[in-house]
Amino acid sequence: MTKADKYQPSEKGQAFLDTVNNGKYDRQIITGMKKFMEGNAPEDMKSFYTTVELQAISDLKGTAKDVEARMPVKITRHYFELAKDSKPIQVLVKASPKETYDLDGAADPGKQMDYSPVEGLIHKYELGLIYVASTCSAHCRFCYREELIARKEVERPDGTVAPKGLAQIREIVDYIQDHNAKVQANGGRHPETGREKLREILMSGGDPMVLSNRNIAAWWSALAEAGIESIRLGTKELAFFPNRFDPSFFDMMDKFHSNYPGTKIRLMVHFNHPDEFLLKDADGDYIENPQGGLEWHPDTRRAVEELKRRNWLNIDNQAPIIADINNDPDALRIMQRELKQNGVENHYFFCGRDIVGHKAFNVPIEEAWRILNESQKGLSGVETHARLSITHYKGKTEVSAVTSDPLPGVAGAENGFVVMKLLRGAADAPDRGKVTLLGRNPDAIWFSGYDDRVLFDEAGLFTNARKTTDAEAVQKAS
Amino acid sequence: MTFVVVENCIKCKHTDCVDVCPVDCFHEGPNFLVIDPDECIDCDLCVPECPVDAIYAEDEVPADQRQFIELNAELAAIWPVISQQIDSPEDADEWDGVADKLALLER
Repeated sequence: MTKADKYQPSEKGQAFLDTVNNGKYDRQIITGMKKFMEGNAPEDMKSFYTTVELQAISDLKGTAKDVEARMPVKITRHYFELAKDSKPIQVLVKASPKETYDLDGAADPGKQMDYSPVEGLIHKYELGLIYVASTCSAHCRFCYREELIARKEVERPDGTVAPKGLAQIREIVDYIQDHNAKVQANGGRHPETGREKLREILMSGGDPMVLSNRNIAAWWSALAEAGIESIRLGTKELAFFPNRFDPSFFDMMDKFHSNYPGTKIRLMVHFNHPDEFLLKDADGDYIENPQGGLEWHPDTRRAVEELKRRNWLNIDNQAPIIADINNDPDALRIMQRELKQNGVENHYFFCGRDIVGHKAFNVPIEEAWRILNESQKGLSGVETHARLSITHYKGKTEVSAVTSDPLPGVAGAENGFVVMKLLRGAADAPDRGKVTLLGRNPDAIWFSGYDDRVLFDEAGLFTNARKTTDAEAVQKAS
Repeated sequence: MTFVVVENCIKCKHTDCVDVCPVDCFHEGPNFLVIDPDECIDCDLCVPECPVDAIYAEDEVPADQRQFIELNAELAAIWPVISQQIDSPEDADEWDGVADKLALLER
C-alpha cells in the first residue's frame, strides 16, 4: 500500500490518537507443538501433553492429516493455568489427532466470500464484519475462522482463489461512506442491493484485542467519523488473557468516549465454560463467594468490573456448544447465571459450523437445543436471554424448538419436528421471522442433515439457489 | 520458525511492532529493526501492527527477500533490544515502498 492510499486521520482523530498510550503485555504465549515435542516448554508446562499424545500428533506432521496445518496451536500462560484443572479447557486448547480423522467440511463456512465487497469486509444485514487481525492470544481448536488463522486459500465468487485478507481502514471507510451516501440519496435503501444504512461494524479476526491500543483507537475513531453508531468488538481475551484489559486500555476507551460520545462500544465476549473464569477448590468444585454467587478469577473479575463501570458500553457473551467442552447443561446453567449476575448479557449460543474437521467438535443440532433448553431450566427469565443460533449463509437462524411428538397428518413428522426461524436475512431484513419446519434427525450436525425431510420452508433455507451476491447483482444491472 | 523483518522497514522504522511484542525480541539498528529468531515465539502479534507491511512469517517471506532471514539473525546478535515505541523518522512515509533500500541499511 502506498502512502497515498493510506487513511489519514482527521485533525480531531489525530488529536485523540496522540493521547493514546500502548500497554505492554506479558502473555507468555507458546505457539506450535515444537516446544512441547522438543521438551523446551517451561518446566511446569512440559506435562501438558503426554508422550503418547505428542507421538500421535507428531506422526501426522506433514501428512494430509497434519493437525497444526489445519489450525495453528497456541496458548497463553493464563489459559494454561486454567486448563491444568479443567478437562473442558484442555479439549478447547490442546491439539488432538481427532481433529483430522474426518476432514469433511467447508473451507468457507457460511459462504462469507459471497458477502465480501471489499477485502476483509463481510457486509451482511445492516452490519459490516471486518477482519482486523488474523491471530488470537491462544487458539480454540474448534475455531470456525481456521481458514483465516491458518491463512488457507479460499475461493471467491468470481472463481479466484487466495487467502482471506485483512481490512484496511481507508478501504472500509470509503466503502461505508459510499454505501451510506447512496442509501441516503435513495430514500433509505441502497438503489442496487436494497440494503439499509450501515450503522454497525463488528471488528473480528482473529481477536482485535491482540492489536495495540493505538491501532484499536485508530479503527474506532475512523469508524466513528464515518458515521458508524455502534462498534462491536469480538474477543476471547477475557478468557485467554484478561490482563489485556489494563489501565492503558481503559484510558483509551474513556478518551474515545469523550471524543466520540455518539458511537457506542459493544464487547462481544466469548466464554465457553465457567472454568474459564471461576475458581475451584482442591476437590474441583466452584467456590462460594461470601458476598453471593461464585468466586471468579481475580483478573477476570477486575476486567469485567472495570468494563461495567462504563455505562456506555455493553458486554454480551456468545459461544458455540462444542462436544466435550460445554455440551453440559449444568456448566451452561452456572455460566449463564454468573455472567448475567456480573453484568454480562447472554446473547447467543451457536451450533458448530461445517468447518473442515467439524465432525470432531460439533454436537448434533437437536442435542445442542436440548442442552441449552435443559441448562435454562431453573434460571430466571433475565438469565435465559440466550438463544440457540445456527448460521445459514442466508442469515442468522434460530433453532427455536425441537419436539418429540408427531405432528398429526404430516408425513415426515412422525418422530416430531424441529422449528427454525430466520432472525436476520443476510442480504435484507424483510425475511426476518420466517419459519422452517423439519422432520427430526437426531444425528444432523448441519443443514444438510435435513435435506430429505423439509416439511415447510417459508424461510427458504433449503432452496438450492445461492443468493445472488452484491457483485453479481451489480454486474447484472450494468 | 520465526518472523522476519524485511526490506521495507529500512528508513521507515515505525516501531509499532515493538509495543506489542510479548517477548521483546526486536533489536534496533540506526535505520532498521530485526527480530531475534531465537527469542521470537511466532505469536503473530506484530504483523498487523506494521504500517508498512514489513514483517513476514519465515516461510512466507517473499522470494526476493529471503536474504533478510539470515540478516535478522545476524544483526539481532549485535544490535540492542528495543522494547518501547519511539518516534518514526520524519521522512518515514516517503521511504515506504521505495525499492532497493538494502543498500541504504546502516549497521
